Amino acid sequence: MECVVQGIIETQHVEALEILLQGLCGVHKERLRIHEICLKSGPNLGVVASEVRLLCDLEQPESTWTVRHIGGAMRGAGAEQISVLVRTMVESKVSKNALRLFYALGYKLDHELLRVGFTFHFQRGAQITVTVSSVNKMLKLHATDEAVPVTPGIQLVEVTAPASAENYSEVVAAVSSFCEYLAPLLHLSKPGISTGVVPTAAAAAASLMSDGGGTPL
Amino acid sequence: MTLKWVLHWQPNAGSTVNSQILSEVSQCVESINGVKEGRWRATLTFYKPHTREQSMAVDFPRDFLGISLPEQPNKYYFIIRGQRIVLEADSSIQTLMEKLQSYKTRVALHFDGFQYQLGDFQLRVGKVVPTHSENLRGIVMEVEYLPISSVEKARQIMEEFLDIWQEAVSKRSLPGHFMHMEPNFAEYGLADHYTSQHTAVQYATVMAQLIATVQAVQSVRN
Repeated sequence: MECVVQGIIETQHVEALEILLQGLCGVHKERLRIHEICLKSGPNLGVVASEVRLLCDLEQPESTWTVRHIGGAMRGAGAEQISVLVRTMVESKVSKNALRLFYALGYKLDHELLRVGFTFHFQRGAQITVTVSSVNKMLKLHATDEAVPVTPGIQLVEVTAPASAENYSEVVAAVSSFCEYLAPLLHLSKPGISTGVVPTAAAAAASLMSDGGGTPL
Repeated sequence: MTLKWVLHWQPNAGSTVNSQILSEVSQCVESINGVKEGRWRATLTFYKPHTREQSMAVDFPRDFLGISLPEQPNKYYFIIRGQRIVLEADSSIQTLMEKLQSYKTRVALHFDGFQYQLGDFQLRVGKVVPTHSENLRGIVMEVEYLPISSVEKARQIMEEFLDIWQEAVSKRSLPGHFMHMEPNFAEYGLADHYTSQHTAVQYATVMAQLIATVQAVQSVRN
């Protein structure tokens, strides 16, 4: 299971966001360059269609692969009330042959993306990961060197934290509380509920850039 | 990872495997001074595609299997033998596959038995049984040479050991013998340095042999 919120920020404010995150998290950022290959089951496979994502981390000297399946979101009145999405998620590190295996099993390429940016991993009431990245599409199959932004000038911010059936309320609280610190720069909400950029972003960014992040929040 | 060969019991034409043979083989290991150490178990699962209609299943691989190995408790291995594919994954891949619901378990088998130390060798003798039955389907044996990790460098010493072993077994006049069929590891993209992926591929090869043997017996009966 995982808790997720997302938001968008203009590329021009990303540096300010990085300064803010650096101050809040107390850890260094890690560069991110992930080739995400989204596969869908072919027409006759499975009673219902299934999707799986292959993630190739291009930032490592030797690419490492992960397979991820994102399941349904928690539903019900309780889920409606909370501002964080709670959903099932299973992932596994795999050796290089994953794409060949899934093609052989009857999965087809649905789409692929290249995410370029950075992440912060830290502990603050929960194990939180903040990812800031531009989402790019490839003009030719698997050509990660020739990728162009899907939304030029806009980057995606994702805050995730692993959770379990026993502790998800604490994790939700930790993620929500952390997101409040980012409010001057961006608004984070459940994926699928888009809120656009935040009107105070420009002013907040300017303040962060001039202070160099020295102002405590 | 140090090198190992996985052998399987090939019954003579017209005979089948039984627990008496298993008992004789275990005694044979002890007779050449193998020291019994403890139990071991590997589990192999055959998968079948989940399709809306039975006829659609032909479009998907029939030889997709998964295996968990005792020396890698946090890993799981997938093999599609016909396409020479092997994949190493975290154990969580089994949960992931269940969530996808595109493939289901067709049959699962345990390889179950005792482990023995014999100088620089570690031997494992195991019965092959379906998970919810005691029906003996075969016998496997692992011969691991602890000092070496290279497939090629260990070949001579493994062959010499196997000669000694085959001679010891033949003295018991059992209706069959152990066979080693080495897969072409390079076809699976595997290098000379031995890994658990090599072991997974050997087990897939052994299974193909066991199935062929069972089918041969059935066709003789028919």
